[in-house]
Amino acid sequence: MPAEFTAQKKKVKLADFQLAKELWPYIKPYLWMLIVSTALVFLITFFELLMPIFTQKAFDGFIIPIGPDQGIEMFGFAIADFKSLCILFGIFIVISFVIDFMQTLFMEYTGQKIILGLRCALFSHMTHLPVSYFDKNTSGRLVSRVAGDIENMNEMFTSILIFIFKDLLMMAGIFVILFTINPQLTFYLSILIPVIMISILFFSNILRDAFRTIRQKIAEINHSFSEAITGIKIIQTTSGKNSFMKRFQTLNFDHYTATLFQIRIFSIFMPFIGFLGVLSIAVIIWQGSFHVLDKSLTLGELVVFLTYMKLFFRPLRELAEKFNLLQSALASAERIVSILNTDKAKQRTSSSHNQIDSITRVEFDKINFSYEKENQVLKNISFSLEQGRSIGIVGQTGSGKSSIINLITGFYTQDNGNIMINNLNHNSIDIKDIRDKTALVMQDSLLFSGSIKENIRPSNGPTNEPATRSGHPSDEKRLKKALMDANCDFLFHKFDGLETMIKEGGRPLSSGEKQLVCIARAFAFNPDLIVFDEATSYMDSQSEQKVHDAMKKLMNGRLSIIIAHRLSTVRECDSIILLKKGAIREQGSHNELVALKGQYYHLLKKEKI
Amino acid sequence: MILVDSIQLIIPQIIKQAIDTLSLTSFDKRTLFFHCGIILFAGLFMAVLRYGWRNLLMGSARDVEKGIRNDLFRHILNLDMAYFDKVKTGDIMAHATSDINHIRMAFGFGLIVLVDTLLLGGATLTIMFWTHPKLTAIAMIPMPFLIIVTRVLGKKMHTFHRTAQESFSQLTELVRESFFGIRIIKVFNFEDSTGKRVETASKDYFKKNLKRAVVTALLRPLLGLFFNISTLVIIFYGGFLVMQKVLTPGELVAFIQYLSILAWPVIAIGWMTNLFQRGMASLKRINTLLDSLPQVCQPDNPKTPGFINPGIRFENVDFSYAKKTKTLSGINLTVGPGNKIGIIGPPGSGKTSLIQLIPRLYNTTCGNIFIDGFNVDDIDLELLRKTIALMPQESFLFSGTIRENIIMDQNIPRNEMDTILYTCALKETIDNMPDGLDTIVGERGITLSGGQKQRIALARTLIRKKPIIILDDPISQIDTHTAATIISRLNRLNLTSTIIIISHRISALASCDRIYILKNGKLEHFGTHEELIDSDRFYRESFSVQQFEEEDAG
Repeated sequence: MPAEFTAQKKKVKLADFQLAKELWPYIKPYLWMLIVSTALVFLITFFELLMPIFTQKAFDGFIIPIGPDQGIEMFGFAIADFKSLCILFGIFIVISFVIDFMQTLFMEYTGQKIILGLRCALFSHMTHLPVSYFDKNTSGRLVSRVAGDIENMNEMFTSILIFIFKDLLMMAGIFVILFTINPQLTFYLSILIPVIMISILFFSNILRDAFRTIRQKIAEINHSFSEAITGIKIIQTTSGKNSFMKRFQTLNFDHYTATLFQIRIFSIFMPFIGFLGVLSIAVIIWQGSFHVLDKSLTLGELVVFLTYMKLFFRPLRELAEKFNLLQSALASAERIVSILNTDKAKQRTSSSHNQIDSITRVEFDKINFSYEKENQVLKNISFSLEQGRSIGIVGQTGSGKSSIINLITGFYTQDNGNIMINNLNHNSIDIKDIRDKTALVMQDSLLFSGSIKENIRPSNGPTNEPATRSGHPSDEKRLKKALMDANCDFLFHKFDGLETMIKEGGRPLSSGEKQLVCIARAFAFNPDLIVFDEATSYMDSQSEQKVHDAMKKLMNGRLSIIIAHRLSTVRECDSIILLKKGAIREQGSHNELVALKGQYYHLLKKEKI
Repeated sequence: MILVDSIQLIIPQIIKQAIDTLSLTSFDKRTLFFHCGIILFAGLFMAVLRYGWRNLLMGSARDVEKGIRNDLFRHILNLDMAYFDKVKTGDIMAHATSDINHIRMAFGFGLIVLVDTLLLGGATLTIMFWTHPKLTAIAMIPMPFLIIVTRVLGKKMHTFHRTAQESFSQLTELVRESFFGIRIIKVFNFEDSTGKRVETASKDYFKKNLKRAVVTALLRPLLGLFFNISTLVIIFYGGFLVMQKVLTPGELVAFIQYLSILAWPVIAIGWMTNLFQRGMASLKRINTLLDSLPQVCQPDNPKTPGFINPGIRFENVDFSYAKKTKTLSGINLTVGPGNKIGIIGPPGSGKTSLIQLIPRLYNTTCGNIFIDGFNVDDIDLELLRKTIALMPQESFLFSGTIRENIIMDQNIPRNEMDTILYTCALKETIDNMPDGLDTIVGERGITLSGGQKQRIALARTLIRKKPIIILDDPISQIDTHTAATIISRLNRLNLTSTIIIISHRISALASCDRIYILKNGKLEHFGTHEELIDSDRFYRESFSVQQFEEEDAG
């Protein structure tokens, strides 16, 4: 069906330096681990570099000269015979194994720790982003960041970063050794280095861009899956299956093409590095031979030189291979940092702000609001609400009723006008304080997977009570009471009461039952301000009556806002606002509005049918 | 690739010759030049070939990835509701990305490494064996140990990978669900507690990952150890052989060179074991998903009757989601051709479950449903679904334009579209939108109000002009005034289809030929509006509550 996606249009692009700066706080706590790890890497590198020296000594000291009894000197120790050299070698091997193992493990641990911290930080940052962010970005795409992209970075910390460091170190070490063996030959080798550098820079740019596209496509794929699963009923019953499949195939193919491009680039890069290796061997043999002939170089030294050169190119090859992963990880890092950089806008924190203990008054003063510039949703809305009073907002669908809620709860900010809470400006109060005192029952009843208990009272709720211990009697009683207040008694005889496990999408409860549980959740929070957004729309008249009783109980002594499309729902409110196309058409109590014989009265007549 | 590997093996031979030439101290510049030239040429040739096979192998790995992902998606579109009741969305998403990725790695890198290891390793070994069997045999002493260790560690890896992936799935689902319900999280200040839940899940994943890491971390250094032991043995034994003049120094150098070529395959074995185990664990997970057969499946001998305006008959239908509780029991219900029936009942009484059985979103537990005398279980599934237009209770909009959401993939003539938009009272609403019908609605159409979403969903259902139309609470979120307009326009549309409507609002049902009352999964009463007011208490009370409200208002 839909041919186009509301795609993430811009690819994220950031400088590596900036990336490093942003990620630094997450790496910093584990710095000492990284240092230890690096120290271990030094040791390993040292050991690895010593290995060929053993070979050389064996050749020059024992194998080539005739007679094994000459003895050689190594690190200031005199080694008497070939056998002890070999034993020494053996000990070396075992030690290097132990260090290598420790280092790998240590590194893996550190990397995973960093990732753990980063993932939690990212998630918590995201939950604090304004709701508009979630309206614009589909959850499928966002999930791919917390799950996929972080995972992708995982490799950067666990295997890539340190190994690149190690490989570079090793190459540097080898270079020094080569230099001590024969400066002149090394000189030829050093010509290669700028060539390698330039080619790495060149390829990294192209590769990164390719990976950006790939990661973006993966996010789209994730989104497709998420959407298909959520909308599966409609897909299956509207025969939209084939077009969905087609749409997905196109997307998947795009991803495939992007990956092929990356592969092509990379398969030029790798053999190129490989070729440089072979080229240098040829050059060294050619040049080295002359040195051997004029006796400025022993044959053993030439062999060692070649061995080290092999060692020089092996990390280079691995470096190139890891470089691929690094570019992929960096592309992911960019996406993560870009989220971390998204302002927690409008998410005001307390410190300098006014504190409120309870909400006693809410006032809207000439509020204008729009989601997008050209389309004004609310026009010049003013009303006030005192403690113990209720206000009903009615209007046709799309008249802006829900937008009023979006403003009170701070999901969005008005374009102009003021919202006053207890005569303090809404903006000057910590939004958390307001939400603490507010409960919302929405038209889409949303329950999270977990037990009913977890749903209506998560382990650390907003009040500063200690976390609920399971089976704590008074707490359990309180929750039971909340459920009873909301007419959720069906949970106890039809299901497992507080321990009823809710699965994804609120199963096994029916929509009406779900809504009742949502109302119970509002009860459990004992709020000052309650907002019912079409809360009773899924209910039959009899249940609705029960809920209305409970609602009345709850509304007593509190502020309440009831949004409904049915006039009967708001009839008993102290004041009723009739919204039309974002503006207040009529305002007053039920009797006043009836007496007015205006639109409200007109609608009331119609509702009777 | 074979060529590349064989060339790689020739190079040490040339080096050997060069060194042997040098150690003889008889120096021939031309021979040397010749040697270097060959090395250079071989290198160039290798580079070209490598480019080729890399492209080919990695490309085909991506091909595999693409294929699996398409299969997975198609499979998911075909699965039935009962499956999605059990499996979480986030879990499936993890399959589609993370697991497929692991399989690709195993296929791409894994295959390269495997071929590289086998060829390079095998050929090197052969040459080594050729030059000096005894030396080679001695160098291979650690081999059996190596194999045993790899196998043992590989098995462990497999298990740990699986548990890690499962944990990752759970994490994905938790994150997805949290983002989906972000408004509730915010307004109840659940941010911290949700953060904690994710942290716990992350920690669990961390722990399982670390377990895997211990095994992985052990493998590579261990392989390095074995390799180094081989080197030691060769130098020790080979050294003696040279001293005894059995071996030329050049031969020993070449031998060590060969051994250093082996270093790569040996390290690769470790890497490969890891990749393969991870890939296999993931493949198993995907296969489990792909093998899960929908309970609702195409009958063996699908019947393809042409339905014009069919009747529907339920015969002693029982249904339950879980074994424990029966959702529906003993349902007997007949809908005449072209009839319109209504269903009403308290929440949780099984209304939605009842109508979902007709297009076989679920299978009945026992009893049968017939459309025009054909058992739904025998009707071609595609045809069955094409016969029925169902509007689910919760309006779901796909990301795309409003037009796309309504027509899905059909071609709808303009005037029909206009009629339907008029019926659903959408015309004015849509005209007021910035891009009209081409306005893009986000995931779940979040920028629209509940009533707007519901009307779009209704339009999507009606425009299909199916012989059977099922509406599950179609006006619950629409204001009374608009709802009344829609219902009267709907009645005037003169649909020939057989229609089933669920609603709590009696006004929506009043015009039905027959209304059924469903309570606790059983049909209690049925009759026309007037009959039920006389005979059924629930109906009468509901009606009087709604009536009372309205009278009171008047």
